[in-house]
Order: sequence, then structure tokens, then C-alpha cells
Amino acid sequence: MAPAYDVEFVEREERKARFLVRGVTPAFANGIRRAMVADVPTMAIDEVRFIENSSVMFDEQIALRMGLIPLTTPPEGEFVEGDTVTLAIDVEGPGTAYSGDFVSSDELVKPADLNVPIIDLKDGQRLEAEADAAMDRGKSHARHQGGVAVGYRHLQRVEVVGDRDQFEDEEPHIVRGVIEDDGELVPTSEFDHDLTVRYPGKEVRIEDVPNAFVFHVETDGSFSVEELVTRAIDSLEQRARELEDAVQL
Amino acid sequence: MSYKCSRCKRDVELDEYGGVRCPYCGHRVLLKERSRDVKEVSVH
Repeated sequence: MAPAYDVEFVEREERKARFLVRGVTPAFANGIRRAMVADVPTMAIDEVRFIENSSVMFDEQIALRMGLIPLTTPPEGEFVEGDTVTLAIDVEGPGTAYSGDFVSSDELVKPADLNVPIIDLKDGQRLEAEADAAMDRGKSHARHQGGVAVGYRHLQRVEVVGDRDQFEDEEPHIVRGVIEDDGELVPTSEFDHDLTVRYPGKEVRIEDVPNAFVFHVETDGSFSVEELVTRAIDSLEQRARELEDAVQL
Repeated sequence: MSYKCSRCKRDVELDEYGGVRCPYCGHRVLLKERSRDVKEVSVH
């Protein structure tokens, strides 16, 4: 039987979240992190056809900039790896060509942010191109990374063990992440990451809570955090199954 | 081959006999125009 996991959200937004997972080993926590970074397929531009580019930048440089624009990734099952969607752009100077100027052939795949500048065009300069977006994984190229700034830390338990010596210097005691105080989860940003602010004049002891990890996950806008985490875990599960099938006699 | 004269900015067609010279203003500096072909670039 699978061991029981306990998940608790500390912070939850569309593109950013912080959550606590109890009952996982460090290896498994790192497996989830790596899957989020490198193993969740996302859409990104990987081929550009330039019809006109009279801007000051080379086609190749502009193609690279286009590749790094986050695109929304369609729900699971709609696309498979290798499928493509065409996006077109046609901007004439003076002005800046933004990611929002892309017109997509599929409503499900469009720039996640509309304000990513591609190139500044001067009077008479023009950029006209067609781009193919394809689905691939973060391990093939950074442009296909859905999870950015993904990491985890041990949950830290803080215990007051007594009063501080009267003549001891009050030095800041910096802790970052999330602490557990009497079963209550407190992000350290609430007390400026300084334990002497939260426990003035007290002697405290900090210890890592075994097998409890606080994940901090941010997505590039391809999908929500929940989607990223569940897809990462699905990919982990799928690979474990493949291994199981492969070693079966 | 299509070029553009750097002085009078007019389009210039060069043939193999005329030499490198603008037929309108006589300027000898010509700029090569970008080809009209669609250029395919893959993102690396």
C-alpha cells in the first residue's frame, strides 16, 4: 500500500504556490522537482519562417526571442508531443512588436503574457513571420520548461527552550522558508525572516522536520501550478510503470 | 541581382557588363537588398 501523504497549501495563486508535503523521502521530493522542471511537455515556438525582417536584429536572434515566449499549453489529451500550431505576426514600425501581436491558429495555444517585447521597430521597419509551436519537454530545451523557480526546503520546527541571557547581544537569527510553531505553519516572510522578531528575548531551537518539504513552485504561465504539479507526478508515475513493465520477467 | 544605390536610394539591376555603378546617379556604392525568399529558421 502506498504511504499516506499530507499536502497543505501555505500560499496559492494561479502561477505561484507554496505547499507542504509530509511523508515523502528527500529522493522523492527531488524527483517531483526534477519532473516539474524537465518532464512536463509544454508548447513553445521552435520553427520560424521569416517573410520580412527589416529590423536591426538577425532572423536567428528574433527566432530565439520568439522561442522563449511562454505559450499556453492545451489541456492533457488535446495535443501530443510533436503536434504543431502556427502563429503569425505582422508588425510595422515605428513601434514595438510584442508577444501579444501573435495571431494563433488555435485558441488553446496563445502567448501566456501579451507584453513580452520581441523587437523595437523604427520607422519603415517591418517584421512579418510565421512560427510553428511544438510540444516538447524541458529536458530538450529551456523554452519547453513549464516550471520555473521550482524548489523545496525542509519544514523547520521552532521550539522555545528558554529565555535568552540578559547580557547577550541581540543578533538577528535569519531563517528562510516556512516554520512550524506548535503545529501552525508560518512563512518566515511574516516576521522578516528573523526569529528574534517573532521570539524577542527567547532562546529557540530549530530542527528540520523529517520527511516534510515545503515546495515553492512557479510556472511560466503555460498552465496553473496545480496542472504543473499533477502533470509532473503523472509523468513520474508513467516512468515508474514503464520501468516496472521493463523489468518484469 | 537587385541592389539599392546608397546615394539616390533607387533600385538598381546589375548585369555582367555594366560594372558596379548606379545608372541614375553614377554612384559606385550599392547595397544588396534582402532576398524575397521566405527564410526558415529553427530556434536553438
